[in-house]
Amino acid sequence: MKLVGIVGTNSTESTNRRLLQYMQQRYGKKVELKICEIVDIPVFDEPEDKTAPKAVQVLSEAIKNSDGVIFATPEYDHSVTAALKNTIEWLSYTTRPLINKPVMIIGASHGSLGTSRAQAHLRQILEAPELKALVMPNVEFLLGRSLQAFDDDGKLVYEDKVKELDKDFNEFISFVELTEKLTVNSKFFEENQKFSWDQVANGEDM
Amino acid sequence: MKFIGIVGTNAKKSYNRMLLQFMQKHFSDQAEIEILELKNVPMFNESKDQSNSPIIQEFNQKIEDADGVIIATPEHNHSIPAALKSIIEWLSFNLHPFDGKAVMIVGASYSVQGSSRAQLHLRQILDAPGVNASVMPGSEFLLGKAQEAFDENGDLKDNRTIDFLDSCFAKFEKFSDIIAQMNIPEDITYEPGTFKVTAVGHNGDLPMEVTLSDDRIEKIDIDTSSETQGIADVAFKRIPQEIIDGQTLNVDVVSGASITSNGVIDGVAKAVKMAGANPDILKKRKKSAGPNKQNVVEYNTDVVVVGAGGAGLTAAARVIQDGSKAIVVEKFPAVGGNTVRAGGPMNAADPEWQNKFQEIPGERHTLKEIMEIDESTIDSDYLADFQALKKQIAEYLQENEDKKAYLFDSKLLHRIQTYLGGKRTDLNGNKIYGQYDLVKVLTDHALESVKWLEDIGVKFDKTQVTMPVGALWRRGHKPLGSQGFAFIEALKKFVESHGSEIITDTAVKQLIIEDGKVCGVIARSSDGKKVIVHAKAVILASGGFGANTKMLKQYNTYWSNIDDNIKTTNSPAITGDGIRLGVSAGAKLVGMGFSQMMPVSDPETGELFSGLQVPPQNFVMVNQKGKRFVNEYGSRDELTKAAIDNGSLFYLIADDKIKKTAYNTSQAQIDKQVEQGTLYRDDTLEGLAKQLGMDPEVFVDTINKYNSYVDNGEDPEFHKSAFDLKVKVAPFYATPRKAAVHHTMGGLKIDTKAHVINEKGEIIQGLYAAGEVAGGIHAGNRLGGNSLSDIFTFGRIAANNALEDM
Repeated sequence: MKLVGIVGTNSTESTNRRLLQYMQQRYGKKVELKICEIVDIPVFDEPEDKTAPKAVQVLSEAIKNSDGVIFATPEYDHSVTAALKNTIEWLSYTTRPLINKPVMIIGASHGSLGTSRAQAHLRQILEAPELKALVMPNVEFLLGRSLQAFDDDGKLVYEDKVKELDKDFNEFISFVELTEKLTVNSKFFEENQKFSWDQVANGEDM
Repeated sequence: MKFIGIVGTNAKKSYNRMLLQFMQKHFSDQAEIEILELKNVPMFNESKDQSNSPIIQEFNQKIEDADGVIIATPEHNHSIPAALKSIIEWLSFNLHPFDGKAVMIVGASYSVQGSSRAQLHLRQILDAPGVNASVMPGSEFLLGKAQEAFDENGDLKDNRTIDFLDSCFAKFEKFSDIIAQMNIPEDITYEPGTFKVTAVGHNGDLPMEVTLSDDRIEKIDIDTSSETQGIADVAFKRIPQEIIDGQTLNVDVVSGASITSNGVIDGVAKAVKMAGANPDILKKRKKSAGPNKQNVVEYNTDVVVVGAGGAGLTAAARVIQDGSKAIVVEKFPAVGGNTVRAGGPMNAADPEWQNKFQEIPGERHTLKEIMEIDESTIDSDYLADFQALKKQIAEYLQENEDKKAYLFDSKLLHRIQTYLGGKRTDLNGNKIYGQYDLVKVLTDHALESVKWLEDIGVKFDKTQVTMPVGALWRRGHKPLGSQGFAFIEALKKFVESHGSEIITDTAVKQLIIEDGKVCGVIARSSDGKKVIVHAKAVILASGGFGANTKMLKQYNTYWSNIDDNIKTTNSPAITGDGIRLGVSAGAKLVGMGFSQMMPVSDPETGELFSGLQVPPQNFVMVNQKGKRFVNEYGSRDELTKAAIDNGSLFYLIADDKIKKTAYNTSQAQIDKQVEQGTLYRDDTLEGLAKQLGMDPEVFVDTINKYNSYVDNGEDPEFHKSAFDLKVKVAPFYATPRKAAVHHTMGGLKIDTKAHVINEKGEIIQGLYAAGEVAGGIHAGNRLGGNSLSDIFTFGRIAANNALEDM
């Protein structure tokens, strides 16, 4: 199984990156987890030609070729980072690789709340008609106090959190397999494929 | 009110931008909305701090300065655009301009949703601790199907939508007011004592003692003997120091020692609470600017003067001359108020001096016109004076019947001209004219003021007698040196060298009133200090409200229209503060509906002395078609009304000779202005006409006719009544002009002793007013040169009576 992990920030220091790296380490035998960065994505400004810049195309290809996507999001001001939102806007406006793609949301924060509010926003964002991602329900992996969460080898030191992550990750594998079956021959999903930013722009809300 | 509008997208086409532009236009009579764009805002990146970049700083500064922020957000993927999120992140990282700022959220979208989900997200985002905005609850303005909502002028089409926007905006204005009050730093008093609390160390709690006096944190002792050396040491030293220096709990935590830093702050907060005070007040205070900053400063004096313009400094100087003490409180960093902007000459009838000058063409005609005025049109209180004046004029005319005469003047002529000049009827048919006793005092004592100023150190140019614009007569005493500044320079020097303090950068917010007597002021300095001045009398000398367009429009009953973007010749400090203070003590207001426009102002800046500003006898005014349109020697109102009727913009024409009579300029300045395109110059009249886009034939004909009128001493077209130079020596100049707010005649009601009078007609004990803040003298129109006479005369009178009443 091929998965893409997106680091939800452009910062050079990020515990969300460390969390993805830890997952790569821990689940590397089971799945191929490719970590993607968003630091090179330019500012989205609704260009008329609707062409995805190079960095967006590269990310988009990786998503297209994967079986599922993991978003690791920080929380800035109760929401996702502008950098991550910017990336999502590009994807929704140009290539739309997230349609019908299984998605898992995780997040790490220095404080104790572990990005709860950013994750709620991200869930709503990914369910917008221009994106139509299949966000895994019922699972919310929140890593609080993330600065103290990793040892020198990049291992997660909170044992309860390791267990929780294992369980959540396994569920996600099942979710990816399940949606694989669902998407074949489904009219519902074909309808979704047709949906576009243009439709929103024409006032046809869904 | 001043709001910032943020277009929540960087896209080229945006209905949210249109919505803000509509709001800007639609609410322009209530508030100024400046729209900021996200186009050049970089993506937020915490590892690449650009908080100091010009664009982020611009957002920061403008939001800091605004009364509130309106954010218009589109909805992208059920949330706000990344571009909007990015600026909010920049403004919640190292800068925090949204902290406590009133915010209104609006949004437009193509779909029927009208950005409903994005608005909810934005609300949550603005609530985050780093942002900490005060978002207005309720009044959710969602503009769905925005592509159909606007007409071709960018106006909202649906009236119900507009009504709802009106109600949301009205609520936001109120909301901003309330939020602003929440942000005013509050005073704090403690139960004095030493309080034992704890600070947080790495090895557990540390004992801490906080000593408080009744209004200050005096000492913070932390016992760090059990603590290991390290970075936390810095926190234990620096944080208490900053808390004491700034008397604030709003201090930056020491990087790398945030837990210990916050531990100290929390410990002090606890002590403050134990002393019966609210630590949140200290958390809202500004950060410490440096050591020894006091938050409350108190003064005791005999007389406190509000405003350091000509009237205020005069009053202070008079108090000092008496051997008493005065303190002047000025809102702006520099003294001088509007007086430094005055042209210079002050009116005072001084026949002995004026008689040494020859009459000029037209003046005799003016006197004859006065003789011909029907006495039934003169108000009864002025009738005796008018008749006496007629007698004086008749004698003068008889004496000089067949010869070139000297320049006539008398106190009576000054008084009657002030009266006649001020007589007006407003749009509602209300008649107004100068209150007789006040006008009498002004005209009787103006010359004394000139002499008094000479004693203070002002030197006058005795070699010429001038007539300021709109003065009606040549009785201007012009100081040597730089225009109005000459007065201020001398007065300031006098006041300061005699040990009186002028506190600048400090705005008086409140009068102290005890048992019905005004006995001091409470002010706030620009760095947040509270300044209390206790005094036996308060003299308001803070000027009118010419720079407060909202107030002008509120009271105006004279002009058919006052533009929202009208310029003013006034200092931006002149916003009616003293009138508000007076009203707070129950003062009656008089003549507030009447304001004066300066017809000959710079169209871009409102300034008086740009281009070639010459004496009125040398004015040659032409409209945009190159034709004269008014008697250039007419009153300001006549000039203003004529200018408005002729498309507002007009030109003052000058030749090389006339140029030499211009006030306050130099050849270098003139050349620079020509280069900048704010003044036109040409070697021929035809060329000048072409530069101005006029028909050269029409323009040349206009000038030729004017020159012939100068030769004949009579203007059959517009009846200009005084001439000097012709327009004939190249190069020729054209100075563009437009009317700007110049003077507000209305204000606090005073008596002849400058006491402020309340609604019941009684004296308000301890309160005096002088200058433009007072009303009743100039009534509907102030003669040019009379405001200087007013401020120096009533400034002295206010001081004299404040001293006498003590």
